[in-house]
Formats: sequence, C-alpha cells, structure tokens
Amino acid sequence: MTAMNSAGADLKQLYYQMLRIRRVEQAIAERYQQQEMRCPTHLCIGEEAIAVGISAHLTTQDKVFSNHRGHGHYLAKGGDLRRLLAELYGFAEGCCGGRGGSMHLTDLAAGFIASTPIVGGTVPLAGGYAWAEQMKKSGAAQGCASVAGGTTPWMEEVERSRRPEPRTPEATNVVVIFFGDGCFEEGVMHETMNFAALKKLPLLFVCENNQYSVMTPLAERQPERDIYKIAAAHGLQAASGDGNSVEQVYALAQAAVANARTGQGPQFLELHTHRWPEHCGPNEDDELGYRSPGELADWKLRCPLLQTRQALLDKRLSDESELTAMEASLADEIEQAFQWALRGSRPSIDSMGLHLYA
Amino acid sequence: MRDVTVMSYGEAIREALDDGLTQYPEMILIGEGVPDPKTIFATTQGLREKYGAERVLDMPLAENGMTGICIGAALAGMRPVLVHQRIDFALLSVDQLVNNAAKWRYMFDGQQQVPLVIRVIVGRGWGQGPQHSQSLQAMFAQVPGLKVVMPTTAGDAYHFMLDAIADNNPVLYIEHRWLHHIQGEVDKNSPRTALTGAALLRQGGDITLAAFSHMSIEALKAATVLAKHGVDAEVVDMRCLTPLDVDSVARSISKTGLLLVADCAPETASMAHKLLSELFQSHGQHLRQPPRLIAYPNHPVPTSHFMANHYYPGAEEIAAAVLEMLDKQPLKQIVTMELQSDLAKDLPDRSFAGPF
Ligand SMILES: Cc1ncc(C[n+]2csc(CCOP(=O)(O)OP(=O)(O)O)c2C)c(N)n1
Ligand SMILES: [Mg+2]
Repeated sequence: MTAMNSAGADLKQLYYQMLRIRRVEQAIAERYQQQEMRCPTHLCIGEEAIAVGISAHLTTQDKVFSNHRGHGHYLAKGGDLRRLLAELYGFAEGCCGGRGGSMHLTDLAAGFIASTPIVGGTVPLAGGYAWAEQMKKSGAAQGCASVAGGTTPWMEEVERSRRPEPRTPEATNVVVIFFGDGCFEEGVMHETMNFAALKKLPLLFVCENNQYSVMTPLAERQPERDIYKIAAAHGLQAASGDGNSVEQVYALAQAAVANARTGQGPQFLELHTHRWPEHCGPNEDDELGYRSPGELADWKLRCPLLQTRQALLDKRLSDESELTAMEASLADEIEQAFQWALRGSRPSIDSMGLHLYA
Repeated sequence: MRDVTVMSYGEAIREALDDGLTQYPEMILIGEGVPDPKTIFATTQGLREKYGAERVLDMPLAENGMTGICIGAALAGMRPVLVHQRIDFALLSVDQLVNNAAKWRYMFDGQQQVPLVIRVIVGRGWGQGPQHSQSLQAMFAQVPGLKVVMPTTAGDAYHFMLDAIADNNPVLYIEHRWLHHIQGEVDKNSPRTALTGAALLRQGGDITLAAFSHMSIEALKAATVLAKHGVDAEVVDMRCLTPLDVDSVARSISKTGLLLVADCAPETASMAHKLLSELFQSHGQHLRQPPRLIAYPNHPVPTSHFMANHYYPGAEEIAAAVLEMLDKQPLKQIVTMELQSDLAKDLPDRSFAGPF
C-alpha cells in the first residue's frame, strides 16, 4: 500500500512513537492518583495511532493545533515531554509556566502552536495560520512574517536549529488541526472548512472520531451519515479510515499532507478510533454503562499498538529482545522526565498577573 | 403552611427542575450531558426516566445554534431550560442570547416573548484554568432584556429555578460550582420571588457586607468568626443582578454606616462597582468612611494551583478588611487563624474526588 510497508524502520519508528505516548499517558494516570497534578486531564490511550501517523509526515516547520485531548498530538509533533509533565504539576518550568495545565499546551520550537479546551476554539485559528503561511509563501505578506505568523526572531532561530529539513521551493508549510467527532458539530468547524476551501488553504483537518462526546454517543448528537462526506461537500478532499491502524493513517496522511503542501487545498481525514479511559481523568469508566456492552473490549482487541507490534514480529522487522529494550529505554526516559518535572519550581504568586498584554 | 426540607443546593436545583417539568408540560430540559451517567453533577438525575427522552435530552456540541433553536421553540410556546456545564461554553452562544433572546420582545413591540432559561455553572478549583472558571455575570447583566440571577442558598436555588421557568423572559441562571454541595432549607410553599430582591442572610449592626454568589458564603464565614470577637456584621446576598436591589443595601448601611462589597468576579466594571455607584449617588450620606471593595484580580485564573490558590479572595480577606474598617487590627491574627482550614484551597469540600 505504501512505501512504508517495505521500509521496516518506519513501522518500528511509528510503533516507538505510539508506545512512547501510551507509556507517558499511563505514567500520568498512575501518578495522577497522588493528587499533585491538579488539573483536568484528558488521556488519549487507545487513540495513539492518529497523532503518530499524521505527524510522521510533518516537519518542525509544519504547525499543529489541538484540543483538550492534546498530549498525544503534542508528543508526536516533538513537544518537550519534560515541560508537558512540569505543566501538569503546575510548575514554572511547564510549557505554559503553569498557567495552562493539561488542556493548554504549546511548544513553538516543535511547531506545536497550541491546544485549548473550548471545543472548536482552535479550529479557525488553524485556518488563519494556514492562510498566513499561504500569504507568506506567495509573497503577499513579505516582510511581515512576525505579524502574520506570530513568530519571533527567537522562535525562528530555534526552529532553524531543530532538524531543519530541505524543502522544494513550491512546497508550503502545512497546518494540521486535530479535533473530535463532537467538535464537528460546532459552527466554527463549518465556517472554517468553507473559508479553507475558498482560499485553498494548506490545512489538514483530522477528525478523531471516537463516537463519543464526553459520555454522549454519536447517535444522540448526529444523524447517521459520514462526517468526511460533509467535508467533501464543503469542497475539501476528504477520506476516512481506520484510526487504529497506524499504517492506514500513515498512508492517508501521506497523500493528504502532500496535497496540502502542493497547493491542492484543504484536506480532511475522518479516522475511527476509541478512547479507553474515562473522558477526563485517570480511570476507566466502563461500569458507568454509556458504552455498549463489549464495545470497549472489542476496541481493545484492535489496539493500535498490539496490531503494530504483531506486524513488526510477523514481518521480522523486529524481535522480542529489541522490543523489550525499547520498553526499557522509554521507561527510563519517562522516569527521568518525571524526575526533572518534579524538581520544578512553584511559579511566584507575583507573576500571576503578567503577560496579560503584549 | 411551611413545607421545609433540608437539601443541598444541587439537589434543590434538581427538585425545581423536576417540579417544573411536572407543572409546565411545555418545559424541556436540554444540554450537553443532561441525561448522561453523571447528569450535570447529579442535578438532572432521574429526570429523563421520569419525563421521557423527548423533554429531557442531550444536544449536539452546537451552543450557538442550539440556543437559537431554543429561542425559536420558546417563541412557539415551549419553555426550554438549556444547561451549560461551564459559563465559558455559553460564550459561544452570546450572539443568539444578546442579539435575539434579549431583544425580541422589545424589538417587536411586546408582541412576542422568549420564556427561556439558560443554566450556567461557574467553575473553580482543581486547575479549571483560564477557559473553565470565568466570572462573566457583569458582562451578561449589562445586556438589557436578559434577567440575570445568581442564587446562593439552596432555598433560592429552588425558587429561582422554578420562577425562572415560569418567567416569560430569557433568564440567565448562574450557579457557582462551589455552592452545589452546601445544604440549606427549602420551603416549597414560600411565596414566589419574582426574581427580584436581595436576601438578608445575617443580621448585624456593626457593618454591612454586601456579597455576590459564593462570596456571600465567604462573607457569612467571616461574619461567624467575627461575631465571636464582638463584631456583628450584616450580610446581604445580592442574588439578583438585574435589577440590582440597591435599596436593601441602603437600608442596611443607614443602620451600620459601614460597607464592604465582596464580588466574585474581576473588579473592573463589576456588579460591585454598579452597586457602589448607585449607593454613592443616592445614599452616600449614610457612610461614615469610604466603602471597601473585595473582588478578583483583573486577569484570568491560571491553572496552576500554586498561583490559583492566591487568586481568590475569601473570608480571611473580608474579615481583615472589616477589622481595619472598625479599627480593630489587633484582632486580625486570631480571626485569621480561626478562619483557616486544612482543606486544600483548590477544593470545594472534602467529598470532592476530582478531576472535574
Ligand atoms: C464549547 C464547549 N462546549 C462544551 C465543552 C465541554 N466538553 C469538553 S470536551 C467535550 C467533548 C468533545 O468531544 P469530541 O470533540 O468528540 O472530543 P473527544 O473528547 O471525544 O476527544 C465537551 C462537550 C467545552 N469544553 N467547550
Ligand atoms: Mg469524540
């Protein structure tokens, strides 16, 4: 299906990235019980393949916007793990200096612009960012990069120092917006798709359809029809696929990102997946009964990591000892990151009112 | 005859919604999560089972559109109660609320009306942060045509909800999340409130504390401890924002001569300022010294509890200011000590198990 299937290193890399997100989320869930990460936290366990399969095609020049369930998007884009954890603890070393917590992440150097928790809030922002990228590329906004792009000379320098990648002159930076099936119901979603199609923006919409908004199933909120077909009706190039198959996500994203990059306009991917933990918080909540019986168990059988792990072994792209070593090195990285975060400092009370105005 | 039951503020809301659904066949209860297993912090529990899925229902994540749809239904004679788990989410619906609901009756010369209740919850604590803990009551109260209420006690929670449902105007019903667990008396037979008037929560002759929503609870806490030290504060709960019952506060200051206003919102252009301004214009002669204002700082609430715990003024700040006004600074230390609690500052009560 894709070049990747024959390129074993890629599948291993994708697996590694998914495993890293899974282990980070699990470590957060475990330590959340200590009541020191005192902020609403939405984990993405079960949905890792989407962030990873998409971000595999992005450079640090490409930008990502995300939502309340943003840890995976942030990590897959190269966001700093230690600063994510420090942010959860509310420390000054956090990626927002403690002002944001789990639901407000940023790592400009990695091209992860922002996640925020008002559903739909970042969708038009991604559109605007893509618009600016397009204008900068066409020369319409020459010399005003710092205004249109919101970057500072400092940011640009950091960006240059981080794995700069060669780029053909025709190519544009791509902006990706991650959102859920619930978000698709918001008005700004459709207003943004309309404008993006109108302007042929280099924008990739990624709908993580996990069938639920909090505990409300899709059937209580939307009529029976495909989400991606609505995007198609807005004039976007749209497709859907199995969000639990990292190979499929990778393949769909490869085409979508390439199209967006080469001026073919906004792209839309609806990827089917399922969240394992409760909507918000560290626990499972299957006992509440809002999922149909066996639903979660079925999705767990379709675990994106298990599937990929099996494929790696079947295709002899890896073996047990290598995968064990991978686990060990991740455990080590995560432990060290927590140690770093826990050495963080309390933001001073006096600093609370800073940064209200530029 | 009085028919008094003790229940929590949250239970009182549930009870009023239940009675509303019984009394008004045209009432519908709608909102994200209304029938889900957590039922809006248990305030809509059992209502779908009792009244059916047509009248008690969930909705798409479409706050603005659904507000407009509820306005349309209200124009056609329904009485929708639309719930947002955070007031911050209602911001998406400001166009429909302000441009349509608030003006409809006026624009069409009184020929049409919008009997609509918008229930919104103000978040606080456990890292709710900049977008889940805003205090926007003054912004809404500024819009002519909206009625804005912030009940503080369980009894008012019950009656204001039922009266808001009965009201033929759009009513914004603001609940502070930290009031939900507080117990109080609900007398179902007490007279209707007409959604007007302040409430006298405590009588006292030394100073008037006029407070809003959760700040009234903090003022009561302060008053209880101050009373042990010979300071008798009167607490007036400003439970209706439009119209604001300035007269009740004026009556109180004509007796005490001293005023402290405690608001639960950033100070700029707050309801506290509106109250102070009206008092100054018409009743300034009662005040023996300039009034004090305690409100939130003029910046968003940060998520980190290390900062947010210092964002919110409360009983300690109120008591300290009262003692300064009465020139009893030496009592500050002991009063502050007595007001301190071992409960983490970002939690409303001991039963709270996070994270929402
Ligand atoms: C405007 C707005 N309405 C409601 C909420 C409360 N809320 C937070 S997440 C969420 C569910 C979003 O569902 P979806 O977009 O499918 O994302 P998922 O949580 O499933 O990843 C809701 C309703 C909110 N944060 N913002
Ligand atoms: Mg969803």
